[in-house]
Amino acid sequence: MLTIRNLTKQFYQRTDEVTVVNNLSLTVKKGQVFGLIGPNGAGKTTTVKLIAGLLFADKGRITIGGFPAGSLEAKRKIGFMNENPQFYYHLKAREVLEFVADLFEIDKELASKKIKALLKEVGLQDAAELAVRKFSKGMHQRLAFAVAQINDPELLILDEPLDGLDPLGRLDFKQMILKLKKSGATIFFSSHILSDVEEICDEVAILHKGRIIAQGAPKALVKSSKQSLEELFVRSIRNEI
Amino acid sequence: MKYKVLWAITLNTFRETLRDKLLYSLVGFAVLVIAASLLAGSVSLGQDARVIQDFSLTAMLVFLLIITYFIGTQLVFKEVERKTIYLVLSKPVSRETFYLGKFFGLCLTILVAGLIMAAMFLIVLYAKTHSVPVAAYFAVGAIILEAWLLTAVSLLFSSFTSPLSSAIYTFGVTLIGHGSATVWLLSQKASPVMRGILEGVYYLFPNLEKFNLRNDVVFNLSPDGTQVGLILLYFVGYTAFLLILGVAVFRKDEF
Repeated sequence: MLTIRNLTKQFYQRTDEVTVVNNLSLTVKKGQVFGLIGPNGAGKTTTVKLIAGLLFADKGRITIGGFPAGSLEAKRKIGFMNENPQFYYHLKAREVLEFVADLFEIDKELASKKIKALLKEVGLQDAAELAVRKFSKGMHQRLAFAVAQINDPELLILDEPLDGLDPLGRLDFKQMILKLKKSGATIFFSSHILSDVEEICDEVAILHKGRIIAQGAPKALVKSSKQSLEELFVRSIRNEI
Repeated sequence: MKYKVLWAITLNTFRETLRDKLLYSLVGFAVLVIAASLLAGSVSLGQDARVIQDFSLTAMLVFLLIITYFIGTQLVFKEVERKTIYLVLSKPVSRETFYLGKFFGLCLTILVAGLIMAAMFLIVLYAKTHSVPVAAYFAVGAIILEAWLLTAVSLLFSSFTSPLSSAIYTFGVTLIGHGSATVWLLSQKASPVMRGILEGVYYLFPNLEKFNLRNDVVFNLSPDGTQVGLILLYFVGYTAFLLILGVAVFRKDEF
């Protein structure tokens, strides 16, 4: 579903060239929940933005369902939820979803049904007519999760979806992701919270300084290294430092 | 290009700008200034219609340009700053559709603001003279076209520079654009090197005086079909050039 080959992205800070993603390769199969974990500044968000077509790769390529990332065909296949999602302040929750449905050219009647169902699913049915500027952080996250699903995406990309949520919100959110996983959805998600990744993902990759330093099924990684995922994560990163 | 998507972005931009309190302040103030032209007209000696026309049409142009400077230059910047651009560009929306949607959205806002100001102007003029020359409608149309063209200028600058710089540059283009004739005259008297530079400026910058039909209103001189056609052609050609340039820059932007 998602193939990344030899992906490299560099940024220029004054005169320095910083490699944020370094020759990254990975594959996410259909129906798989793939977690990209790493400390802050590891290159997770940059990778996610490259997949969503918001950044351009310096080297390597990304394909989504056979189409190059950033192409309209690839974008049609994905649902994207960025870190700290923000919406147009002048819109209500329902209007945000209607606007995004228009961007996908979804038929009005079908969109209306989907919007109702999605708002219910993320627990915002009572806030449908509330202006987004009055939303709490948790409500923003929920709305973003609904927005990411408006087109029934073949690949759901979630960047730090549980970041900044209170314990209840995190639990709710995890259950929503697990429900999607059960339904066979393909999910690519980035996080620095290991317990969440361990609980949700079929496969994880540990990213550090733009490179993958360990990859595999969480259980297999724990078994082979004889340490918890947290210990493996910390050791892998310390060894790299 | 998907027109349904373009329309969705245009409408969203229009609604977004309508929420801007600055817009209401500017339109409100413009309407007050135009209404005040009635007083200015009454103290002039037999020139009341002329004063009202001059005063109102200039006020209309100035306020529409202020809207362009302050709202136009912020359009893309705000999207990036608030990260709402992620919401749109991660969807099946091409960069050109997004860019053009922002442009048409602000054009729609300028049109509505312009029509409100024009309505006030026509009411004031009719109240004073009991007639409205046809030339007044053409002058109003030309002012709106000029504001649209400068919207394309401000959007182009805002795709690679800060809102403040963009507003300053757009203001600079306005000044040069209205001083095209002076630039040409200067070029004819300058040294060969300076002449080349000034002629370059003359041809590169938009000649905004083409949109100045305000003096014709006083003498009720309506432009003929050819003049209207040339103004429209100039507007479409120059605006298309600016939009193509802006899209080319915006396509390479990363967020």
